[in-house]
Formats: sequence, structure tokens, C-alpha cells
Amino acid sequence: MAGIGFELRKLLQKQSYFGLLQAYAYAGIISSGPWVLSIVGILFVGFLSLGVVFPHALIVQFQVSVTYLILSSLILTGFIQLGFTRFIADGLFKKQDEQVLPNFNGMLLIVTGISGTFGTLAMFLFLPGMSVPYRLLMLSGFVILCAIWVTTIFLSGMKQYKEIVVLFAAGYTVTVLGALLMRKLGMEGLLLGFVIGHFVLLTGMVALTLRTFPSEEFVAFDFLRPGAMYPSLIWAGFLYNLGVWADKLMFWFYPDTSQLIIGPLRASLIYDLPIFLAYLAIIPGMAVFLVRIETDFVEYYQKFYDAVREGGSLEHIENMRDNMLFTIRQGLSEIVKIQAIAVLVVFVLGGTLLGWLGISRLYLPLLYVDVVAAGLQVVLLGILNVFFYLDKRPVVVFLCLLFLGANIAFTSLSLHLGAPYYGYGFAISLLITVLAGMQLLSRKLDLLEYETFMLQ
Amino acid sequence: MKQPRAERADIGLLLEGTFPYVSGGVSSWVNQIIRGFPQFSFALVFIGSQPEDYGEMKYALPDNVVHLETHYLYNQHAAPQIRPVHGNPATFGEIKRLHEYFRFSDLHPDGTETFRKIVPELSAHGVAGLETFLYSHESWEYIKENYRKYCTDPSFVDYFWTVRSMHAPIWMLAEIAGNFIPVRAYHTVSTGYAGLLGALLKEKTGRPLILSEHGIYTKERKIDLFQAQWIKDNRNVFQRDPTEISYFRQLWIRFFQAIGKRCYDSADHIVALYEANRLRQIEDGAPPQITRNIPNGINVPRFSPLRAQRPVLPPPILCLIGRVVPIKDVKTYIRAMRTVVNRLPGAQGWIAGPEDEDPGYAEECRELAEGLGLSENIKFLGFQQMTELLPRIGLVVLSSISEGLPLVLLEGFAAGVPAVSTDVGSCRQLIYGLDQEDQSFGAAGRVVGIADPQALAEAALELLTEGASWRAASEAGVRRVEAYYTQEQMFASYKSIYDEATTWRE
Repeated sequence: MAGIGFELRKLLQKQSYFGLLQAYAYAGIISSGPWVLSIVGILFVGFLSLGVVFPHALIVQFQVSVTYLILSSLILTGFIQLGFTRFIADGLFKKQDEQVLPNFNGMLLIVTGISGTFGTLAMFLFLPGMSVPYRLLMLSGFVILCAIWVTTIFLSGMKQYKEIVVLFAAGYTVTVLGALLMRKLGMEGLLLGFVIGHFVLLTGMVALTLRTFPSEEFVAFDFLRPGAMYPSLIWAGFLYNLGVWADKLMFWFYPDTSQLIIGPLRASLIYDLPIFLAYLAIIPGMAVFLVRIETDFVEYYQKFYDAVREGGSLEHIENMRDNMLFTIRQGLSEIVKIQAIAVLVVFVLGGTLLGWLGISRLYLPLLYVDVVAAGLQVVLLGILNVFFYLDKRPVVVFLCLLFLGANIAFTSLSLHLGAPYYGYGFAISLLITVLAGMQLLSRKLDLLEYETFMLQ
Repeated sequence: MKQPRAERADIGLLLEGTFPYVSGGVSSWVNQIIRGFPQFSFALVFIGSQPEDYGEMKYALPDNVVHLETHYLYNQHAAPQIRPVHGNPATFGEIKRLHEYFRFSDLHPDGTETFRKIVPELSAHGVAGLETFLYSHESWEYIKENYRKYCTDPSFVDYFWTVRSMHAPIWMLAEIAGNFIPVRAYHTVSTGYAGLLGALLKEKTGRPLILSEHGIYTKERKIDLFQAQWIKDNRNVFQRDPTEISYFRQLWIRFFQAIGKRCYDSADHIVALYEANRLRQIEDGAPPQITRNIPNGINVPRFSPLRAQRPVLPPPILCLIGRVVPIKDVKTYIRAMRTVVNRLPGAQGWIAGPEDEDPGYAEECRELAEGLGLSENIKFLGFQQMTELLPRIGLVVLSSISEGLPLVLLEGFAAGVPAVSTDVGSCRQLIYGLDQEDQSFGAAGRVVGIADPQALAEAALELLTEGASWRAASEAGVRRVEAYYTQEQMFASYKSIYDEATTWRE
């Protein structure tokens, strides 16, 4: 991640608190921008529609519909996100820049085709009773979102963070304005705004890709050749996204905690809102994560592999390994510290916050647990990222699988134990995965030179 | 051509980069030996670098070669599947001892015991298999330990890969040894990889191992390694001491010394071509009591009739017989000719040998002859039949800076032509004799220092102008070659070794 690390280092080199603050703010925005914007955007659309769209249930229907779209598109594209990004990154490493665009187009074509097929099937299978405009909007929203996720992760892989944030901001502005203009059409109006806004976002990202990676060829399917994408990455992406959503899905389909919102779509109002709010509390953690990983860790990571490749002495290699270990430890502990502060703030101000948003204080205990869980999720992301850097893909798959399994198991248990335990399933599964991840990381780093030299 | 296969044979010949795929002196000798012993059947193991480096066989296989297998050390082998394995700490203790024995063999007289313990473990199921070497933690720790202790080159990655590529052939050789057909004795024609294979086979079956060295493998390797460009030297300008060769070169040299030493320790007979090489072998660790000289022999009856064809007075014609290449130092010979011609105006200096190997050098030689005003006296003859050439000349000259056992001297002697040679290889032994009995025949010519045209000329003039000296030298040469350097004697010597080795019983 040369680009971002470089800019952050430049800010940090100012050696002033203001520079530091700038660096973290910048990191916070680019690391959390997209999803903060989407959460805030959707909540905002609902907020602005209060008193205009009647009955109030329609707003909930809109929000639940969008949540389903996001969930299903994330899980579906989970298969291709990491594998494809890695394929492109390897291609760029080999200086095959002209291969980027045609393969990106090919990938987009495939994703559109598959999501279109799945979406159409789902429209007939799951939404038979709904109005035609609703079904068409859901279908187009689904396809557009699928395309957006793969494009977003592709562009993040290409380190186009700033551009992503700007495009998300633009897309969500259009979404909110569109929904505002068409809210008189009811739920379909809000959804139309959502679809138009996301279409703008997608168009912007595709245009950015076209501009960044010019090529003679237009479409290619090299990434589909056997061996082009690592199967481990394909599974890791899928398992991670499924793991993140598993507890939510379970809450939506457990009768005691959910209700039918629209057509067959169920939701769990008591469960969903706190978790979305909790995700807003991890912005500082994400900022620290980005700064630490992209500057300190990557610096020693590169020095380590340079030393290995270019004939450094063993002492130097080990020294770089130790420094790498130190930056990881420091980075993770800083994420934990800053998230602890965020948790404390939520503990103190949570009630007031819910009051402002007009949400019942009954959600408070769940919000506390979710804030802790979301913080742990940042730590997990940090660990997974280090594993990606070290190219230990099987470990990533194992951790994602562990997370998914634990989330299902402990969420079931929490549902069984009753309302006071809600949210603990998600949090405990993350805690277990994080601990396992740290353990594995420590072992892998101990064996790093051995594996680098002997097992390559 | 299809390679013959057999279940068993009398003698297993271990050949590294030579017969039957490469032509040259050693290959011709191997061919001669196999054909000279039709009563024995031979099984051949050819060890090469990679198949592309060799074409078709350069020799027709004699009928008594019943088995031939070829192996290539630098072929891309399917390495065992990469997976972490656990080594046995005790095994690594033995390996450490073995390395110490290679490093300081005087301090570790039990090296053979250690070697014996490790050899069976080199197989895929052994505790010192290739997997253990490539993937085990213990191996990794051991490599790091040695890097810290000894390596003076900063680059760890180069050290690591040097160690890996250096050792990889060992397991391949162990596999070859494991699959080789039963024979009654092993005969390796060099140390090096073939010699190590011999040592491994000897450990496996206990059968006798014969080593014949034409050159000194370790010394030749050393010269190659000094010139090799692929060996890295990562010391920077401050770390570099010009008197100290790069660590990786040292490592390779020590590796070949170690496997050479191992072959000497395992061998039952160590044969050198001539005394200087035998002494060198002893210096390199060969046990003196099992070393001996068996020089190459020539077919004397082919040359003896030539003696009568020569006029009573030797013609004032000197002849350098050999390729026109720098190692023969033809220029010193040409310079010496200037002095010879000054004093003996009718003298001729012939050069009989192909010039196509180094045309540039040949051209320089012609220009030098012209520059010295010797165009009339120096003749470049190209390749010549020895039986036609020898009766016409008065003196064989060798001005080489390196030689082994030059057959041209022996062939000249057999035809009654004395020689003036530089003091390289076996030349002193051939001209002055080795032991007392040999020396009693007298000098078959003169030996001079290398690159000394004046001395060369003086010696040649003495022989050509003093009839008595020439006749004495000619006679000494005839007697010496008939006493020690006949083909029959070479075969008889090897026959006694083969007879003893093949009748060996457990």
C-alpha cells in the first residue's frame, strides 16, 4: 500500500500533534468512510422521511430491504473479492498493467451475470407477492451493490482510498437527495433513490478504473483460468462475510427476536439497530489500524523481505523480523487501547446518544456488547491483514471458518439463554477468533524465517 | 541408443562426465580398459550435469558392457512435497560430527564410523533423508548455526542456497547407490560425485572400491571454481580482503575436498598415473599404503620399427607435438627456436597439432615466428600421424605449463626420440626415472623450467649437437618405456587389482 503509507508518513513526519491528528483523521476517513457513509446514509433517509412517508412501517420496510440487499450482495461477492484482488495485485507486481482493465471488465461482467441470475430467481422465489416496481428495484439494487462491492475491494487493493471515499460521499449524497425528492412515492420512492445513488457511485468507480488502468483490450477472463485465483482466498472471502452476518441472520429468523417486515423478509429490530450504531464507534480503531499497519508494519515487512531477497545478513533479517513483530504488537495494542476508550465513551454517553436518536434505552446493554464486539472485529481485521501480508492464506481460511462456526454456535446459545445474553454470541465468537489469531500469529512469526527459507 | 540392462556384473565403473558420452583422454582410457578385460563384464554408471549437455554416445559400447545407467545431477527433480518435518536431534549430532571430521580430519579419526552410521539414513525413510535436509527445523537451526560460526560473506540467502545446491546431489547419489545392480567390485575413475557414489556403494555392500585418478579432481575443481562467475561474493569494499577468496568459493572447494577425502578413506586401491599425483593424493588425505602408480601404457611394437628408419645422425629437427593452445605455451618454444637457429642455422622447429581450438592464439604464434625472423625455420604442420612424423625428427619438445602423463613423450621414446620438456606433471619422472632402477637407465632427454626459452634452447642444442648425449638419451628412453610404460604392464597391473577385488569374499 505504497500510496497511503507514504501520505500518512508525510503527515507523521511533521512531528506535531496536529500532524498526528491529521494523519489519524485522514486514516479514519479513508478506512471507515464507505461503511460509515452507508450506515449514516440509510439512517438519514429514514430520519428525513419521518412524517412524510406514511405509515412509519414503510420506512422500516425500506431499511430492512436495503439491509437484505447489502447482506446478500456481500456474501455472494465474498467469493470473488479477495481472490480477484490478489490476482490483479500479482499481475501488477509482474508489471502486466495492461491486463488490469480487461480482467476487471470481465470480472464485472461475470458478477453482473451471476448476481442478475440469482436476483431474478430470488425475485420469483422469495418475493412473489410483492409489487412489480419493488421487485425490479430490489433486483437492480442487488446487481448494482454486487458490482459496487467487488469494485470497492478492487480499488482498495489498488490503494485508491481517497477516491473511494469521495465517490461514496457523492453516491450517498445522491441517494439521500433522491430519496428525499421521491419520498412521496412511498417505500418504492426511497428505494428508487437508493438505486439511483448507487448507480452513480458505481458509474464513478468504473470511470475511475477506466482512467487509472488504460488498456488496448476491453474484456479478458484470465482470472478464471485454473490456478489464476487462490481457492483459499475465494473461501476466505466467502466465510468472512458469512461469519459477519451469521448472527444477524439467525436473529432475523428466530421467531422470538424477529418480525415479518415486508413480504417474506424478516428483521430483528431489537438486534439490528445497536449493531449498526456500534459500527460507528470503531472509526478510531480503524484509523489506528490503518496508520500502524500501513506505515510501521509495512516498512519492516518490506525491509524483512528485501533483506531475505537481496542478501542481508541473518542478524539483519532477524532484526527486521523482530521489528515487524514489535510493530504488530504495538499496532494491536493501540487498537485495543483506542477501542477501550471508544467503549468507555459509549458506556458513558450511550444513553444520551440513544435519546438523541429517539431509540429506546432498552437497547443500551446490547449496544455496550456490540461496541466491544465491533472493536474486536477491528483487531481481527488487523490480524487477518497481517496474515495476508505474510501470505499465510490457509491460516486466514481457518480463522474465518472458526469465526463463522463460533458465531453460529454462540449466537444459538445466546438465543436459547434469552434477551440479557443477546449480542454476547457475536462478541464471544470474535474474542475466540482474535485470541486464536494472536496465538497463530505469534507462532507463525516465530517460524517466519524457517518457513520463508525452508518451506518455499 | 538403447542402454543395456543386466541383473549383475563383475565390475561397476563409476564415470563422471566422461565415457561414453564425452570424448577425451580419460574416456579413451576407459574404453581401452573395458576392451582390455573381455573376461569381465562391466556395469556403467554415467553421472552428468544435465541431459542437454551431452549428445549421442561418443564410443561404441564394448560387448562386455552389460549394463549402463545415466543420471543427471542438475536435472530438475521432483522435490519431495513441501511440508514441515521433524528431524532427529541425535542424527544432527552425527551430521555435525561428520562435518567436523571433514573440516579437521586429524582431530576426528572416527569419521568413517560416523559416515557409516549416516549413509543408511540417507534414504527416503531414513532419519537423514532429503526431506529432513530440506524441510526440518533441526536442519534450519543447523544451517543458521554454521552461518553464524563460519560464514564471512554477509548474504544469508546466498549462503542458504549455496548449502542447498551443494548438498542436494548427495541424496540423489544415495538413491543411485540404493538401486545399483550387484557387482563384485566398484571402480571409480575420479573422486568428486562419482567418488562419493563409490564410497556410498562401498558402505552399502562392503564390496571393494578401486579409485583411478588421471588428474587430481579436487585440484581441477578448484581451478574451475576460481574462474566460476556464478559464485557470489557479497563483501563490500571494506570487508573484502583481496588475498582471501570469497567464502562461497571456499565452501565449494571444501565440499569437493570433503567428498574427495571420503572417497580416499573408503577406497581399497588408489591409483595415480604418476608419482607427483600420488604424492598429491597422500597430501589430500589418501592413506599412503594403498596408493600406487599405474601409468598409461603405449603399444610399443607399433613404434619400435621406427627406430631403424632414422639416419644415424639425428636430424636437427625439433617438434612440439600438441594442440596449439596457451596451456602448451607454444610461444616459449618459438622463442627458444630463435636461440637454437642462431647457433645451429639449419635447425627446424615443427609444430604438429590442430590449431582450430584457439585460432587467435595460433595466429599470434605465427606472427611471433615471423617477427623473430623464423618463417623459414618454423613449420606449422597441423595434425600428423605419429608413425610418420617420429622417424623424421630429432627431438620431441614440450613447453607446456601443465601436463599429466603426456603420451607423446612415451611414443617418442618408443621410437627412439629423446625429449626436452618443462618440469610439469610426470615429465621429470618420464625423462629422469623414478626409483633407483628406473634412474639407472639414464636421462631420456632434459627437463627445464617453465617459460624459460633460453634453458630450453640450451638443452635442445646439447642433445642435437653432441651425438653421444643424443644416443644415450635415445637409448634410455627406449629402455624406460619398455620397462615401465607398455600397454601390457598397465593391463597386468589392473588385472592384479581386478583379480584381487573380484575374488573378494565376505
